[in-house]
Amino acid sequence: MSLETLWLALLGLLLAGYFVLGGYDYGVQLLHPLLDGEQQERNGLAPRNTALDAIAPFFLGNEVWLVAFAGVMFGAFPHLEGTLLSGLHPLIVAILAGLVLGNAAIQLRRRTPSARAQRRWGALIVCGGALPSLCWGLVIGLLLYGVPRRADGSFHIGPGDVLTPFVLACGATTALLFAAHGAAFVALRSAPQQAARAGQLGTALLNATGAVALLPLLLTLFGAGPTMTNPRTAAALTALLAAALCGARWWLVRGRHGRAFAATCCATALPVPLLGAGHHPYVLITPSGTGLTVEHAVTDSATLHLLSAFGVVLVPVILAYQAWSWWAFRGRTSHRHADYF
Amino acid sequence: MTAADLARLQFAATTGIHWLFVVLTMGLVPLVAALHTRAAYTRDPARRAVRERMTRFWGQLYVINYAVGIATGLVMEFQFGLNWSGLSKYAGNVFGAPLALETLIAFFAESTFLGMWIFGWGRLRTGVHVTLIWLVALTAYASAYWIMVANGFMQHPVGHQVRDGVAYLTDFGAQLTNPSALVALGHVALGALTTGGVFVAGISAWHFARGTGEPELFRGSLRLGVWVSMLASFFVVVVGELQMPVLERTQPMKVAVLTGDGVAALQEQLVREHGPGDYVPWQDTLRISMDAMTLIGNTVSTVTLVAVILLRKDRLVRWRPLAYLMTAMIPLPFLASVAGWIVREVGRQPWLIYGELTVEDALSHVGTGALTVSCAVFIAVFLGLAVTNWTLITRFARRGPSATQLGTTDPAEPERPTVPSY
Repeated sequence: MSLETLWLALLGLLLAGYFVLGGYDYGVQLLHPLLDGEQQERNGLAPRNTALDAIAPFFLGNEVWLVAFAGVMFGAFPHLEGTLLSGLHPLIVAILAGLVLGNAAIQLRRRTPSARAQRRWGALIVCGGALPSLCWGLVIGLLLYGVPRRADGSFHIGPGDVLTPFVLACGATTALLFAAHGAAFVALRSAPQQAARAGQLGTALLNATGAVALLPLLLTLFGAGPTMTNPRTAAALTALLAAALCGARWWLVRGRHGRAFAATCCATALPVPLLGAGHHPYVLITPSGTGLTVEHAVTDSATLHLLSAFGVVLVPVILAYQAWSWWAFRGRTSHRHADYF
Repeated sequence: MTAADLARLQFAATTGIHWLFVVLTMGLVPLVAALHTRAAYTRDPARRAVRERMTRFWGQLYVINYAVGIATGLVMEFQFGLNWSGLSKYAGNVFGAPLALETLIAFFAESTFLGMWIFGWGRLRTGVHVTLIWLVALTAYASAYWIMVANGFMQHPVGHQVRDGVAYLTDFGAQLTNPSALVALGHVALGALTTGGVFVAGISAWHFARGTGEPELFRGSLRLGVWVSMLASFFVVVVGELQMPVLERTQPMKVAVLTGDGVAALQEQLVREHGPGDYVPWQDTLRISMDAMTLIGNTVSTVTLVAVILLRKDRLVRWRPLAYLMTAMIPLPFLASVAGWIVREVGRQPWLIYGELTVEDALSHVGTGALTVSCAVFIAVFLGLAVTNWTLITRFARRGPSATQLGTTDPAEPERPTVPSY
């Protein structure tokens, strides 16, 4: 395997990691008003929220996966970074605005005791979950379908590119999937009563995800969707995605929350290999089936070798301390835990 | 406004606001780490309790401030690609590496460890918990280092070769030791410590003047804040001066504007070298910023030096106006550090990469409409968050240690063993 492919895999790992971890954050943010347990106010600190309690210790470590993705894209694939972000300008701006608001709102919500301020922060938290989920779905849809790349390599999406049935359906599917994923996480982390409620909500959301996901699938099968560069790989990955959704529903209904969450993790991660492997060697494709290849997107080989020397050490270290943080805060949430977000 | 003006305004405003939170983060985190360590290794239970409250009080203010720091920081990594794609086209091979390494080495670790520190009270062993906050401090400064390496390349491009209009990395060591990065890092770090020290001293003095009833806690804090700000503000002026020889060598135009000497001659020379164009940055803005920074630096340095002497027997806070003077100084280091950035970045104009790529040439082909919207959205969101956040910091600072929320567990519930359930 060449060095470029390895870095592409790392880039994919970071994006998939972000979809899995940021995905349940956004899902929880979306659902948090519905998953509020009976909690008491005490010494000026507003009541805890079951759903937000579940993500609390991991929240700050989750969002950075996106920053690492952007950093690695800039370092290893600068030619992709420039075109992709400026081309998707309106969507990226929307994602970032949602992200900033949601991120700050989660950290600051309980610093204000007044009920009115609480509601405002709560609304921002929901927006901060909805906007990135939906817009990431649109981005996935656009990148699968292809972007209107010009001769000089740059592109700009307009309303006409986004408002197509395929892209919109991808957006809706992703938003629903993230919400279901968040519900599965709350089911895993919360006390039994709230876990049961989250499980029911998650099941309903998975039903909806499955129903909406049929639309892009049918569009693709009937030729109104994307033409994948590697149709077999794409078909296999889509089948896996469908299996993950079914598995998640199966286990969630039966109260096997650990397995259900593992399945929603797979489902949220799979769009990334679908994009990467489905269109390989293109990292950015046009509807006509050509585009920017890995080879042209990658940085100079001297820089890549240098980055690789760092990457060999850094990536295992990062994975190790992230895993440590998950391990250190394992188990269901309870009142014994430090209480902050 | 042209597209270039809008993109510049967006970058300057978002980076400037982000920086106001970063500077306090960097200034407070070593102090919080030191306080936490001292609390952890105090045997006497009464003193230990005071020191732990002290850690949580300052830690609370640090964490509130960090909330907006990280939220705005998420945007920064995307700014170059959104509006300045010419930068990645020209220098992506060189400029991307330090940014990638910053995220992997520093940002990732800082955020993960801070999350663990916030929720680690009563859950992690003391030694591990204290180590975490030190790791947060270390990675905050590591982050500053890599950002300064990237910024240093924009100020004084080294370690690369230009072939067919594209820059290639040839000497990474030269990038890492770029004097334009290292001296500035020293200046920035000391500026941040000054900010943190003045912040701690100012709030402590206010509580003394008001007699809020925590003399022991705030006496220790005042001492720490005054000493840190005295030492840091002395050296920040010294290291600031050290930058002048570097600037004379690398950015003669900036020096010419600051000293008001030889601007016209340099402009002619640059026209000969790079073709027609205006190579003079905004002169008045630059000079006013420089004067403001110098004035504030010297003022803070002098006042804190006197304050150190007056620390004996609480003389500093016994006379109220003096205590309030310490509080009134809190905004000054923030103003100085923004002025410093203006000198550095406005003084770099019209270059994005000094002598090689102009700001105009680096602009993405994004329509003015899209830029107006993104500019308005980001500035509104950032300003709104900044004002809200400062209101919250002020409220928590005034209420004192009894209102601290950081590290509290619910005493109302009976303790239940938590068994991992999966």
